[in-house]
Amino acid sequence: MNNFEPKIVAFTCNWCSYAGADKAGMMKLKYSADVKLIRVMCTGRVDTQFVMTAFREGADGVMILGCHPGDCHYRTGNVKALKRYKLLKKTLVQFGINDKRLKLDWVAAGEAELFQKVVNEMAETVKELGPLHLTGNVEQGGK
Amino acid sequence: MAKPKVAFYWCASCGGCGEAVVDLADKILDVVAAVDIVFWPIALDFKYKDVEAMEDGSIAVSFINGAVRTEEQKEIAELLRRKSGLVVAFGSCSSLGGIPALANLTSKKKIFDRSYLNSPTVVNPDGIVPKTKSIYDGYELTLPEFYETVYKLDDVIDVDYYLPGCPPTPDLIANAVNAILEGKLPPKGAILSPDKSLCNSCDRNESKPEDVAIAEIKRVIDIELDPEKCFLAQGIICMGPATRDGCGASCINGNMPCTGCFGPTDSCKDQGAKMIGTLGAIIEGEEEEAIDKVIEGAVDPAGTFYRYGMSASLLGSARKEEEDE
Amino acid sequence: MNVERPKIALFLCECSTNISNFIDLPAVADWAESTKDFCFVEVSNLLCSPDGKKHFAEKLMEHKPDGIIVAACSPKLHEKTFQDIAEEVGINMSRVQMANIRENVSWVTKDKKKATEKAKAMIKAALQRVILAEDLEKVTMEAIPDVLIIGGGIAGIEAALTASKAGRKVYLVEKDVSLGGSVIKTEEVAPNMECSPCLLAPRLSEIRDDPNITVLASSEITDVLGFYGNFLVKVRKKARYVEESCIGCEACFDVCPVTVKSEFHLGLGNRKAIYALFPGSVPASAVIDSDLCKHFIDNSCDACVPACPFGSINFDEKDEELEINVGALVVATGSKDGDVSNFAELGYKTIKNVYTLPEFERLASSNGPFGGKIQLRNGEQPLSIAVIHCAGSLREDGIPYCSGTCCVDAIKVGELVRKQIPAAKVFNVHNDLVFVGPKENAFYRKQVKDGTQFIKCSDLKTIQIIEKGDKIRIDGKGFKSIKVDMVILSTGLEPASGTNELADMLNIDLGKDGFFKADHDLLNETGSVLEGVYVAGCSAGPCNVATSVTRARSAVGDIISKLIPGREIELEILTSVIDEEKCGACKLCISVCPYKAISFDEEKNISIVTEAICRGCGTCVASCPSGAAKAKHFTDDQIYAEIGGLLYE
Repeated sequence: MNNFEPKIVAFTCNWCSYAGADKAGMMKLKYSADVKLIRVMCTGRVDTQFVMTAFREGADGVMILGCHPGDCHYRTGNVKALKRYKLLKKTLVQFGINDKRLKLDWVAAGEAELFQKVVNEMAETVKELGPLHLTGNVEQGGK
Repeated sequence: MAKPKVAFYWCASCGGCGEAVVDLADKILDVVAAVDIVFWPIALDFKYKDVEAMEDGSIAVSFINGAVRTEEQKEIAELLRRKSGLVVAFGSCSSLGGIPALANLTSKKKIFDRSYLNSPTVVNPDGIVPKTKSIYDGYELTLPEFYETVYKLDDVIDVDYYLPGCPPTPDLIANAVNAILEGKLPPKGAILSPDKSLCNSCDRNESKPEDVAIAEIKRVIDIELDPEKCFLAQGIICMGPATRDGCGASCINGNMPCTGCFGPTDSCKDQGAKMIGTLGAIIEGEEEEAIDKVIEGAVDPAGTFYRYGMSASLLGSARKEEEDE
Repeated sequence: MNVERPKIALFLCECSTNISNFIDLPAVADWAESTKDFCFVEVSNLLCSPDGKKHFAEKLMEHKPDGIIVAACSPKLHEKTFQDIAEEVGINMSRVQMANIRENVSWVTKDKKKATEKAKAMIKAALQRVILAEDLEKVTMEAIPDVLIIGGGIAGIEAALTASKAGRKVYLVEKDVSLGGSVIKTEEVAPNMECSPCLLAPRLSEIRDDPNITVLASSEITDVLGFYGNFLVKVRKKARYVEESCIGCEACFDVCPVTVKSEFHLGLGNRKAIYALFPGSVPASAVIDSDLCKHFIDNSCDACVPACPFGSINFDEKDEELEINVGALVVATGSKDGDVSNFAELGYKTIKNVYTLPEFERLASSNGPFGGKIQLRNGEQPLSIAVIHCAGSLREDGIPYCSGTCCVDAIKVGELVRKQIPAAKVFNVHNDLVFVGPKENAFYRKQVKDGTQFIKCSDLKTIQIIEKGDKIRIDGKGFKSIKVDMVILSTGLEPASGTNELADMLNIDLGKDGFFKADHDLLNETGSVLEGVYVAGCSAGPCNVATSVTRARSAVGDIISKLIPGREIELEILTSVIDEEKCGACKLCISVCPYKAISFDEEKNISIVTEAICRGCGTCVASCPSGAAKAKHFTDDQIYAEIGGLLYE
């Protein structure tokens, strides 16, 4: 039996996915406690350095959840997030990090069940993949 | 008054940083006249024991280039640290890991297997690989340990200043040496080149439009490079925006894009990550399919964005265990 | 050495039982105390209640913390509540950090132990983040309460009158030589069959006499700068060569030697090189078409000068470039009639008595080329008329969508024709029939009762319009061919010409069909994606007169409720700022800003954020490759701290 409890950080945007998470809360939809949210105003704010820092600090999985394309509160922030994510994913694979550990998805403010589904699926996926255990310079600290 | 003592050392290095000192050309005579070089393996015949015999702190400044891959390099770095007042990480490899640190994308085992066992021209029927200790003819032989990971200098010793570049330019070196001799140094830990993007002094920056959009990522072999136009506007990945100024844009002026050897500005944690974020956002296309197509053109993102900065990066190296797909 | 640690207060709200039943708050409190990171830890209840808020304020005044963590519900619910109280007791709003342990933890976690651990992690994250808080300032700006309206059709006219009644200065910019738009070309507006010049004439007089409203006809927008509350609009007012003293008596029309086809009459009638669109237009003065006028071509004619009783002709008038400062813009540029000349099978422009519906409206209008007489090209009255619905629409090679407003006008033909030619037969050939509301539907039933024959065609693409001597035959799938004297093609509506350029200039989006995109299809039809720019009338999508007017009034209603003379508007607080010392002039932030809020300063060689336009998305900050851009209250360091707090064991 897999006792591993993954650590997952989800960057959620104030207007869509964070609101969707709030709605999931109001509807008492249960999801994995392993997923912890960080609120940003827009997924366009999510710096690639944030994702890498999360992995370095111990996250086994990272999510970026934004508004559906066309619905971004700031017009196009979510599309920028998508593009960065695509390039980042390709890079992470070269770092030996299974690209399932980084997930970008779209969750609207009203989509409470979708939020629950998406985060639970991620928790399952990462649980199966096991702990990330980054090696290399991470332990040394570095600059 | 005695001239200040100066030492140069090279760790995992190509020798280019040593060349750079020599390349000071006529300036080198000023340097040589002003200082007393007590250790310089590439050029002079001083031995380790000579350094060990010196008093602690008696070397005014040690310039150490190269990344740290082996135990020997770490030991000598630590030795020089003890014996020096100041230690300057000289060049991209010691500052950031440099080209040798790209080995962090593979593993020691893979490197050894390839170099000593599997390479097409290797004949090694007994499968002998270097060991830290081995017995030969009744004698115990030791070799420095080859680390799992390539480190940068400040991973193993305390570093006072960083001279970035692959290699640092003659101007930068001369300025640094003069600053040290005159005692006019910035606060400890400073990187001795301007804390701004290379775009700041790039002649081609004016030609960069205010709405850059990359419709296709091209490599320098794919097109005839326009000698006046911003590389990003031509679809060529130029690391300039994510790289410190100070090199005089010599690669740009040679009609080649910047590859990032001066490393990131102080406000960035990870040069490669920053470039991924910057480049990603200006890819043209709204639909996933279109975006994916453009990204196909980035054939080796880790190698491109972390060419010099692997050891300094947030992830540091690839995971050593294989992960299942 | 004594290091000054920031004083952080921690409130753990029970939220009655909503949190306390699912998270071991006493254990969390004990843990918090043990870390020695907090100057004050309390399990509170209902902090959002009047008593709770009072208690919160008292504790803040007592402990004067540097940072405050409220571990309770969602910040989207009560962050402002606690920020306001903090400000009241002299603590900057930035120092309040909520940890959402209700919506994100207590309500959604099955296991109480796990919930408790998750709550601790979120509090650690909040702690690391709030330590790095930087004071935020509310920023207000004086806003100009005046309005500029682009387009002088019915929507623009209504918008102008409504805004003026609120005491605002209004600039009504119209491309054509006078106001009126599409409606003025209609004789009677269905289904009420109200005469459109009668509807418009009093409004046009009001505008003419209103000192608040400046009509800029023959004018176009050349650039729009600035932002909500402070737009700078550049307008080119083209020379008319006839001064405002002209009253529109038309004496000059008679003597002008140049006759051309009239665009107002859609080519069915003529005008002179000096002309007005219709009697009673606003502006009243005529206009000289300098491309056709012999004075401008070869200086060979001055006939209008002596003919004018008021001496209004001025050949020396020049174009004017105006710069107008307003607080809000209303786009009311209307729509364009669909073009069916590409569809050979419809016979438009090849068969002489085939007209478009707008052309028919011109025939039937009292201000039309024949004073309202419905007639064929040879001057005779038609005794049989067929109206073809959806001509050129609902097809990929034409207008792909249903315009939704034309069917009622297509059936109006029967009403108009029978008034003039009682014996005439009217056929409406259609597939769908789209009517809006009970009145339009009743109008349809009236036409059926009065004798219009509705012929259903099962595939409108199969319609063939064929000339047969003096008659026209209409063939199509699903019905027996008919022969008529006149065919009227009901075309759809397209975006007005210049829509793309205007959208670019204003930096607002177009929808899928090419019309201006509304802020929200259901909840804000008249806003655009940019604050301060509104869309009214058909510019936002084809609609009938009633809807055009409603949209116009709605847009102005929003403007006058938000831009109030003397009252400053609040700007976005969480803006992005670029450090001048660090900016390396790479300009890549400019490419990614959705609001064009960043501009490049050539002199200083840096990019600068115009904070009044910035909406705080942070995309530029994530894009800045040198870390020079900073997102207020969502700085890199604050997010790193939050990540660390969440993950650190």
